[in-house]
Amino acid sequence: MSNSAPSKTVETFMYDDDIVKKFTIATLVWGGIAFLVGIIAALQLASWQLNFGTSWFTFGRLRPLHTNAAIFAFGGNAIFAGIYYSTQRLCKARLFNDTLSKIHFWGWQLIIVAAAVTLPLGLTQSKEYAELEWPIDIAITVIWVVFAVNFFGTLYRRRERHMYVAIWFYIATIITVAVLHIVNSIEIPVAWFQSYPVYAGVQDALVQWWYGHNAVAFFLTTPFLGLMYYFLPKAVNRPVYSYRLSIVHFWSLVFIYIWAGPHHLLYTALPDWAQTLGMVFSIMLWAPSWGGMINGLLTLRGSWDKVRTDPVLKFMVVALTFYGMATFEGPLLSIKSVSAVGHYTDWIIAHVHGGTLGWNGFLTFGMIYYLIPKLYRTELHSVRLANVHFWIGTVGMLMYLLAMYTSGFTQSMMLRAIDPISGKLVYPDFVETVVRIIPLYWVRAIGGVLYLIGFLVMCWNIFKTCRLAPKHLEAEVYRASKMTEESNEPKTAWHRRLEGLMPTFSVLVLVSILIGSVIEILPTLVAHTYTPANSGVVPYTALELAGRDLYVREGCYNCHSQMIRTLPEDVLRYGKASLPEDSMYDRPFQWGSKRTGPDLARIGGKYPDLWHYRHMLDPRSVVQNSIMPAYDWLFDKKTNFAILERKLEVMQSLGVPYTDEDVRNAAHAARAEAEIIAAGLTGDSPIKGLADREIIALIAYIQRLGKNSEKSEGKK
Amino acid sequence: MITNNVESKNKKVQLLDHEYDGIRELDNMLPRWWVWLFYATIVFSIWYAAYYMAGYGLTTQEELSVSLERIESLKPPPLASGEDSVSAIVAALGNNKNIHEGREVYEGKCVACHGKSGEGGIGPNLTDDYWISGQGRIQDLVEVIANGVAEKGMPPWADVLSREEFRDVVVFVRSLHASSPANSKAPQGEKYEFKD
Repeated sequence: MSNSAPSKTVETFMYDDDIVKKFTIATLVWGGIAFLVGIIAALQLASWQLNFGTSWFTFGRLRPLHTNAAIFAFGGNAIFAGIYYSTQRLCKARLFNDTLSKIHFWGWQLIIVAAAVTLPLGLTQSKEYAELEWPIDIAITVIWVVFAVNFFGTLYRRRERHMYVAIWFYIATIITVAVLHIVNSIEIPVAWFQSYPVYAGVQDALVQWWYGHNAVAFFLTTPFLGLMYYFLPKAVNRPVYSYRLSIVHFWSLVFIYIWAGPHHLLYTALPDWAQTLGMVFSIMLWAPSWGGMINGLLTLRGSWDKVRTDPVLKFMVVALTFYGMATFEGPLLSIKSVSAVGHYTDWIIAHVHGGTLGWNGFLTFGMIYYLIPKLYRTELHSVRLANVHFWIGTVGMLMYLLAMYTSGFTQSMMLRAIDPISGKLVYPDFVETVVRIIPLYWVRAIGGVLYLIGFLVMCWNIFKTCRLAPKHLEAEVYRASKMTEESNEPKTAWHRRLEGLMPTFSVLVLVSILIGSVIEILPTLVAHTYTPANSGVVPYTALELAGRDLYVREGCYNCHSQMIRTLPEDVLRYGKASLPEDSMYDRPFQWGSKRTGPDLARIGGKYPDLWHYRHMLDPRSVVQNSIMPAYDWLFDKKTNFAILERKLEVMQSLGVPYTDEDVRNAAHAARAEAEIIAAGLTGDSPIKGLADREIIALIAYIQRLGKNSEKSEGKK
Repeated sequence: MITNNVESKNKKVQLLDHEYDGIRELDNMLPRWWVWLFYATIVFSIWYAAYYMAGYGLTTQEELSVSLERIESLKPPPLASGEDSVSAIVAALGNNKNIHEGREVYEGKCVACHGKSGEGGIGPNLTDDYWISGQGRIQDLVEVIANGVAEKGMPPWADVLSREEFRDVVVFVRSLHASSPANSKAPQGEKYEFKD
């Protein structure tokens, strides 16, 4: 067990594998839920009836639940299981503190439950993968700190001087996720489960996608690379291909990844220089990302025969292959002209699921097939069933991806088609392009079902394996000598020395990720270009603000963007390209990331109030073949006028130019505005007291969209 | 192919002396193609960023203006303005083929607001003698459909419909006059007789 040095004191210790088991089981439980909700959401796109006219069950509220469950519940628990298992062994030390481990575990599960309750209730910040409201944000911060203390405490007590490459990736994960989460979640509470972010419009978009992109980087990439570096060589029992490749690709990945966020915002109102940085850093990310794949796949050299027989390796090889594909596709999609085709379409959905189903999913499955027999000191119940899982999962994944690539490309080509003779859009009705891809939505859902079936086969296999475990598992006792106090290693290479200096290493990681963050974000945050002064744009009226919060609550942004890109096909379809002032009062911004329906940036005034009234009541009464769910409850529920004063007060404190009079008078003014809109509709509406209903506030907001730049231009 | 299979070619590849929980590491050189790929992306990125940030390349706004100018130059003159187009429409009035084609356009674009038979709904009744915008001339019908009536929520269709579709939908709407469908919406606007 120990490595040489007979003169030193040898200590005995045991690993905490109980916590690993807990996190592994939680991974399985939440994985099943995440996949199931994904399938429901997929089916809702194929058939709008499956929204069931129920507020908490509509696509706009379930889709964030799916993404959060997949990333933070399934992915999160898998990461914690793998990190806790491998770190103890790589450090020859038990986890720092058993109580912290338990708080970490139960705290994280409670956060997930809170998410699963609040998101369907429409309590959301609408910032993707950061939807959870402020009390949960605080809980996440606390639990993450608990995790960090437990992890770094373990490193502090390690009996192995040098930290293995897996540990480097874990360090990068813990530090960066903390920075991302805290910066992106700075918000001012309005009520117990509502808040406004301190950033508005362009600034909010930039901060959010710096976060969103790096959630992919530091929650779905670096920790999983760390897991790969531990579990793959363990499973194949071969040395890692190249130590120096590990060093080069680790530091380049950590330094470059953080800059790439603006590739989510190409051709938007974000300044060109930031778009350019986002694009070029994404391109430079190609090789560092592939470094991990190469190191993984080449570690298997000479052992490919084992891949044929060992399910653990099968899953890991496919995971690495998908990692390689997704990290090639990422830079490709970041090229501006490619983004113009792919952005807002199902191509992005395909790209994301190649990464999550293929890389994160399959790596996790491989890890669990390795872990469970080890943890329960037995053999896997059935290798055949694991192979069945592998093939069903692979086929399901391929169906999913082929359907989404075809769908994304088809719809994009239709939306972009401009008649070369007349210069008109060939498919001016958005819904025409939707009808075309519905069959592919069914194929996608079937692919998802297959993936889930494979997963359930695994759960059964794991369950049977656990039953094979010997009744009384005594914890194994390990022996190793204490780490020497002296950290001076004069004759070693500098990086080797650094691997022995945990605090220095961590600080260097922090510096690496802060450089890109500061250079890219700070200029926009301090720039006066995006502040209200001199724009001539008046803030939202109290009623419009109330309606805006309903738009956020219903998750409209999941299907509708509010960003007309500087592309001819967008301008011909939706009107003048969006400017920064169009979203300057938008807390949170609503640019969206996917157009399942048309863009709404300039929808205001395009249709009469009655059109919107009928559309929300029954979308198909005004748009044949629409797949949008009906929003009946907006016609029953009453607008909360009382809270408007507080809302305006918070906005005022954030620099929105409301007068004290506006704030005091908010509820009254909103009622008066609602009465006017309702009066225009009374002839066509059977509802008594229509002015009080939420639909009126929503209509007020929708009719405002796109009016900002008209006003700012009027002033110029 | 992707390996520069060092272990077999070159005996010098070192198995490093450290070991973590049984995991050993080789010290293979970085794959040559990978290093070149990395350099290439860096060189490209520096060139690209310098080119655009120094102002040699078009900004995204300028790029858009160029595209829009090209598209603008393609467009035939707007239907509403040309006298010839109004006379072309007048010539087609009452023609069954045009009415049939026009009905298809109408069912795709107009039904939602004006009803299946022009009886009105969100928008006004198209079958009566009352006009909110215009005074009963074909020219008025052309203008309302082409340019829309922004304050009433009628969208402009000139850029959406082809010249033929436009002609046919006007012919179809004209053919609805005095058809008195069920559920007709009450008259809105001023009364004018149709003047073809």
